[in-house]
Amino acid sequence: MISPAILTHDLTKSYGPVPAVRDLNLAVQANRITAFLGQNGAGKSTTIKMLLGMVRPTRGEGTVLGKRIGDAEQNRRLRQNVAYVAENKPLYGYMTVEQTIRFASSFYPDWRTDSEKKLLHEYRLPLHQKVKTLSKGMRTKLALLLAFARRPELLILDEPSEGLDPVGIEHLLQLLVAEAAEGVTIFFSSHQIAEVERVADHVCILNAGRLALNASLDELRQSYRRIDFVFPSLPPEREFCIAGVEKIQTAGHQLSLFASRNADAVVERGHDLGAVSIEVAPVGLRDIFLETVKEN
Amino acid sequence: MLWYKAWLETRSRFLTCLATLTIFCAVFVGHAQTLLRREWTADYNRLLFVSQQYIVIVWVLAVVLLGMGGIVREKATGTSSLTLSLPVCRNRLLMSRVGLGLFQAIALGIVPWTTIFLVSSLARMPISISQVAFYTTLLIAGGLSYFAMAILVSSSVEGEYTAPAVAFGLVLISAIAFDAWLRPFSLWRLVSGDYCIDRQTYLVSHFPWRGTLASISAAILMLLASMRIIQSREF
Repeated sequence: MISPAILTHDLTKSYGPVPAVRDLNLAVQANRITAFLGQNGAGKSTTIKMLLGMVRPTRGEGTVLGKRIGDAEQNRRLRQNVAYVAENKPLYGYMTVEQTIRFASSFYPDWRTDSEKKLLHEYRLPLHQKVKTLSKGMRTKLALLLAFARRPELLILDEPSEGLDPVGIEHLLQLLVAEAAEGVTIFFSSHQIAEVERVADHVCILNAGRLALNASLDELRQSYRRIDFVFPSLPPEREFCIAGVEKIQTAGHQLSLFASRNADAVVERGHDLGAVSIEVAPVGLRDIFLETVKEN
Repeated sequence: MLWYKAWLETRSRFLTCLATLTIFCAVFVGHAQTLLRREWTADYNRLLFVSQQYIVIVWVLAVVLLGMGGIVREKATGTSSLTLSLPVCRNRLLMSRVGLGLFQAIALGIVPWTTIFLVSSLARMPISISQVAFYTTLLIAGGLSYFAMAILVSSSVEGEYTAPAVAFGLVLISAIAFDAWLRPFSLWRLVSGDYCIDRQTYLVSHFPWRGTLASISAAILMLLASMRIIQSREF
């Protein structure tokens, strides 16, 4: 079995009395696309910063590509094989596009000049223009070029599609899939659930600093169900408090359930209790995300 | 390439300061020469001493300005995550800035006095190379503390404009405070040559080795403290 690209054990970060990340036990499998979801302030960026040595964990430990994140020298070496695109796509405004590429490429012996040229052509980046004069979309494209051309083992992207137009987003998603097919591990955070559903193999949801959900997208699609019952009398809500039922709502004779597993058992219970109508529907990632963060 | 990045960051500041100092020296000395007679050697030496006072003001402001920047400032401007994601240790990031800053500080010390030397030679009022070397060495070696202080402040104080304000404030306050209460230990007076100029001839009487070494030691301590601060900071 391939060892996880990212592994954390009880990783915790507090800013004074305020916990940003709490007891995070994360395992990001290699050669997969893992989406890292959460509301604003859930602790996603702090987690990524801890992985890259920018922020020191208050407690716990972790490894990235087998190297300990808390050790400064090991962290420096792991960054040799990790490409990171931060949320605000930081770039040096005083450099031109060409200077930025030359600067970044000097740190990576495996820099792919072919990828650089291909992306430069596709993104139509003006080589001699100062970065500070580029539009937000162009800056995002340049940041992505720097990440993809360095031949990373692990690609960490924070809101990678932010600022891109629909064509750019489509191109990015295709690029992510192509990179993953070449064996690159991709760990990305996004608020665009539709994009996540299109490309991700695995989903981690962080809520208030805790890992609220960690499963493959296929598992989620198979196990999560919304089940609606209609009963001849007032629905027996308590009878549905069984394992896997995350949420129960009643309205008149109707009862709606949100189940993370055991959907068959729930349906059978409905039958046994005399439901006159039963509807079982698959649940999209958006609903799962909303229910998970609401639930917690 | 970190040197290249540091150069791109500071080149406009450096070139502006260099041009200001060079033009000022050339014009000031060139103009003053026209007011002096050749036989007034002591007066000309006094003029050079006065030039050093002005050069010190601009040089200190320049090196403090050149010491600003780095990843703490980048945190304020939002680019620290790009710099820190590079496979480079934080000390190397700092040392590339310090290395280039020292080179620039040396250039800012040498070029004005070379200009004065050339202008004086052209005007047939030559000054000795040892006098030029004295002022230049005093400026660079003695004044390193100002540069190191700027690095320390830029490593400790966040905010794009807060760090320069604090650094310039410290320069001003230390100059006033030492002049008022601790004059024998005033760095400003050391760098400007006040402690070792013969007041009759306005030529160097001795080189203030102890003061200069103390300033260099203080500069090294401040740079080591900056390294420690940068190592322990969170971004």
